[in-house]
Amino acid sequence: MQLNPRQRYRLLRKLARHRSFRIGFFIVAILVLAAVLAPLIAQYDPIAMRIRFRFRPPQAAFPFGTDQFGRDVFSRVVYGTRLSLWIGLATALASGVFGAFLGVLSAQYRRFDALLMRVMDALMAVPAILLAIGLTAALGPHTSSVIIALSVAYIPRTARIVRGSALVTRELEFIEAARVAGASGLRIMLKHLLPNAMGPLLVQSTFVFAYAILAEAALSFLGVGPSPPTPSWGNIISEGRDHSVQAWWIMLFPGIAISLATLGMNLLGDGLRDVLDPRLKVET
Amino acid sequence: MWRGVIYRLLQAIPVVVIFAVLVFMLLQLLPGDPAVAIAGSEATPEAIDRIRTQLGLDRPLLEQLLSWFNRLAHGDFGKSLILNQSVVSAVVERLPVTLSLAFLSLMITLPAGISLGVLAAYWRNTWLDSFVMVTALLGVSMPSFWLGILSVILFSVTLGWLPPAGYVPITQGLWPWFSALIQPAVVLALFQIGFLARITRSAMLDVLDQDFIRTARAKGVDEWHTITKHAFRNTLIPVVTVTGIIISLLIGGSVVVEQVFALPGIGRLIVQGILARDYPLVQGTMLIFGFSFVMINVLVDIVYMLVDPRVRFG
Amino acid sequence: MLPRIPRSFLLLSIAAATALFATSPSRAQTRGGTLIYSTVGGPASLDPYMAGSLIELEVIHEIFETLVAMDENYNAKPMLASKVDISNEAKTFTFSLRKGVKFSNGQEMTSADVLASFERFKKVSTNAPLLADVDKYETPDTYTFIVHLKSTNAVFVDLLKSSTYPLVVLPASQKDKPAREVEIIGTGPFKLGEWQKDSHLILLRNENYTPDESAGDADGFAGKKTVYLDSVRYNFIPEANARLAALQTKKSDVIGDLTLDLAKRLDGAAELSTLKTFPYCQQYFVLHASNGLTANPLIRQAVREVVNVDDILAATGILSQRNPSMLYPPSPYYAGDMAAKYYDRKDPKKARELLKQAGYNGEKLVLQTNSNYPYMRDSILVLSEQLKEAGVNADVQVIDWMSNSNNLQRGTGNWNVSTTSFCSPPLLGPPQWKSTVYTFPHIEKDPAIDAAFDSLFKSADQGARKKAWFDIENRFLDQAYMVKVADTGSLRGYNTTRVGGLKPYFYLRFWNTWLK
Repeated sequence: MQLNPRQRYRLLRKLARHRSFRIGFFIVAILVLAAVLAPLIAQYDPIAMRIRFRFRPPQAAFPFGTDQFGRDVFSRVVYGTRLSLWIGLATALASGVFGAFLGVLSAQYRRFDALLMRVMDALMAVPAILLAIGLTAALGPHTSSVIIALSVAYIPRTARIVRGSALVTRELEFIEAARVAGASGLRIMLKHLLPNAMGPLLVQSTFVFAYAILAEAALSFLGVGPSPPTPSWGNIISEGRDHSVQAWWIMLFPGIAISLATLGMNLLGDGLRDVLDPRLKVET
Repeated sequence: MWRGVIYRLLQAIPVVVIFAVLVFMLLQLLPGDPAVAIAGSEATPEAIDRIRTQLGLDRPLLEQLLSWFNRLAHGDFGKSLILNQSVVSAVVERLPVTLSLAFLSLMITLPAGISLGVLAAYWRNTWLDSFVMVTALLGVSMPSFWLGILSVILFSVTLGWLPPAGYVPITQGLWPWFSALIQPAVVLALFQIGFLARITRSAMLDVLDQDFIRTARAKGVDEWHTITKHAFRNTLIPVVTVTGIIISLLIGGSVVVEQVFALPGIGRLIVQGILARDYPLVQGTMLIFGFSFVMINVLVDIVYMLVDPRVRFG
Repeated sequence: MLPRIPRSFLLLSIAAATALFATSPSRAQTRGGTLIYSTVGGPASLDPYMAGSLIELEVIHEIFETLVAMDENYNAKPMLASKVDISNEAKTFTFSLRKGVKFSNGQEMTSADVLASFERFKKVSTNAPLLADVDKYETPDTYTFIVHLKSTNAVFVDLLKSSTYPLVVLPASQKDKPAREVEIIGTGPFKLGEWQKDSHLILLRNENYTPDESAGDADGFAGKKTVYLDSVRYNFIPEANARLAALQTKKSDVIGDLTLDLAKRLDGAAELSTLKTFPYCQQYFVLHASNGLTANPLIRQAVREVVNVDDILAATGILSQRNPSMLYPPSPYYAGDMAAKYYDRKDPKKARELLKQAGYNGEKLVLQTNSNYPYMRDSILVLSEQLKEAGVNADVQVIDWMSNSNNLQRGTGNWNVSTTSFCSPPLLGPPQWKSTVYTFPHIEKDPAIDAAFDSLFKSADQGARKKAWFDIENRFLDQAYMVKVADTGSLRGYNTTRVGGLKPYFYLRFWNTWLK
């Protein structure tokens, strides 16, 4: 799928006209802005405690209220955008890169394929969230552990998709021609198999981004997410959970933020899929 | 045909073995060990070491792995360290909870997801389609534990209609069982409904575009009949094939939902096991879990093969 | 010269005196009924010799009994032994057993059962070192049991009263049962009925129970026990909201483990009330004395200086009260005045000075805690803010409880400050503090503490022992191996129209409790 400038322009125009893509793009752009401009948007330090202001309901001074330490929930949610988006992005990138590598590799080298796909099957026999719980507990309470754990959990799915697409490409005539002309395995992988899998890979990575944001929240809820006090949406909810009846606002707003971000990424992914690869069905 | 089935089954064996080794290794990576949980938080390192020896945790890793495989070969899944109970009986006790939850959730998902998908496809590109699809997307975008907590605040704490947590066996009455499970089941179903509605919609769109529907319409068969009799039936085939995925989503989702609603099910058992470093429990339960999962996939493949004879394995 | 054993240490005199105060059961107690108690979780094993968790011990102490038990003034009182004679420089301990005590299987308890129990304890218990110094046992007759120690131990009886890993008397038939596989047969007021792990457990009245008619009112773990209830059903409900709902909907008579916020919801209800129990546990910040920054006493002291107790208690929302000491007020070893100068310092300026003296240069100080116990996480988060005010580069790590607990006990995981609660050492007293004092802060060598502990175990004179403990506590708090946060209580709820006579001491006591 080597694109010339005209094809590229046509694709972009198609995307720009796609309604879900536009809505998704708008939501994600706002969140990215919030993450970048957090210090300008948030009125308070997201970590500083003022115990005497604890449990203030939403009001002009604290639009999302305050938590049990008197911290401003709005500032925490705004700053939390940074960590949550970073985890989503890094997981999408890492699982995309490794998944693509493994997928293309096993499409090209069939003997390697048998072993690798059994390992991938084995990894997929555990619900991703359980695998991530185990790995994060093992690696310690760092943002990087969460990213590694979630990437490992999603690599098998990405690898399968890329492998599927590469297997189709591999049977095409021009690959056969390249092979006959003496192109090396590596060259075929990089020049032909990988570029042709780019569409499905990009779509899958968008969905992984969305899952990663949800999964980070679930991990924090189960107590193995990134360490407080650095706010992530997941650990704001998890800290507010014990006060959910008396101070509902602590966990309400970060939850809305998570839903919005995931919704945005899903819409973006739907748009990409429609435009790049209309044959693809919803993948898990 | 039979060769294909046998090949598929044989292929599952290395998956299960690799799976078992992976689970074993993952647990060894975890800092801390069950002796700490058993000794209590005030125990001294010497007291913990004494328990480690009693449990055989001080033996070399390879020896532990081999002796586990050996016991598995004899049908012995081991004994939970924390529960002081055999893994099989621990799983059997909790299975009804997870199965009840999955069953109820599936009973909500299937009709809701399919009918929403059909509606959206039939009135494609109308406000109804957009509404259904946005709702479906929201369903897959909201964190289930968050929805669960909000739901408890609304229905249990504020309105007092439903119990906030816990499980009641169906033997103690249909209503107590149902009222304890309906909240987690709906929360769990929301995600699958969104997923299923999207699949049904695109499958239905494919079918509606096909010749025989056009022919039926052209012949003047009434619309309701066309949709229910011809289109819907053909839509079901791809929908049935994703049931495997839905079941696995249900199991994954139940891990978190069981925590929120304090349901003593399999997911909660594994999470407790991981957090308490209960090696035999996690190994045994995960193995049962992973094995069923692999088998579900094999079954789905075989069914697929029966439905579509072009599919071959190899 | 023989050390003189102080009279107050002997049990027989007390036993005789308290007999006079035996109460007449003429109040409105009614016999019968099943009390339903909803608690946070259930036991894994009921083997008393392996039981270190409060969840297990709470059930165990309804079923089993020890030779001596602790009263509310922290003294050892008779239970299955009617008296203890100490002789031979506190090396020989002669226990006279109460006659007519029966196990729940109807068998009478004899010295053979006591002997078998001590032997099994030595073999399987987590706390086996308690009997490491035993030279030999003797059972001269059915009701006499003698322990000979190799060296003087002035506090041996004090150690035997331990309610953690309790050395209860089991039937001799259990002698060779491996750890955690003992049959549940005790001499206590209740016996085990149905038990489904992770769901519920039922205690039944032990029809063979023989109360100690000579004992006085319930006093700590000691005193006379009268059983009114037919049975007690423990329901295991991990979610606090769900336990509260069970009480409000009358599906439960008593519930355990409430937070202050939740307990407020009981305020309106006429027939519901709370039970606030102290003593229960004590919360500390633990400072790793042999790792990085906190190996330096000046840094540790700086951490102590920033602590503002009221802010921490406000943020955690659990039942707690201020107390500077490592013990509780009625204890003869209580040193509140001395400890006060190390407590609730809230002096960041002083902390800055100490840091400067220590040559602190913005290095990372690791505060490790867990998310399974929100009060621990919340107090570490507040502490990290208080440290930042004094210019400390505090790095909070929240991990799962099992890793946190393992790191605390073993000193692994590269942490400087953590927090935990101790329940039995503050309750049981100085001898039981010993292993904790060394284990948790990971003190490598502190001759002052070593010497004082030596004197505590060897001195027969209570005055000398008291001084030894004061030295230990003073040194311990001065060096800031740990920083005391507060006494934490147990907050339970109950239905006042249903339950009578329920007076918890540390644990709930279902004896002397009836249903109205």
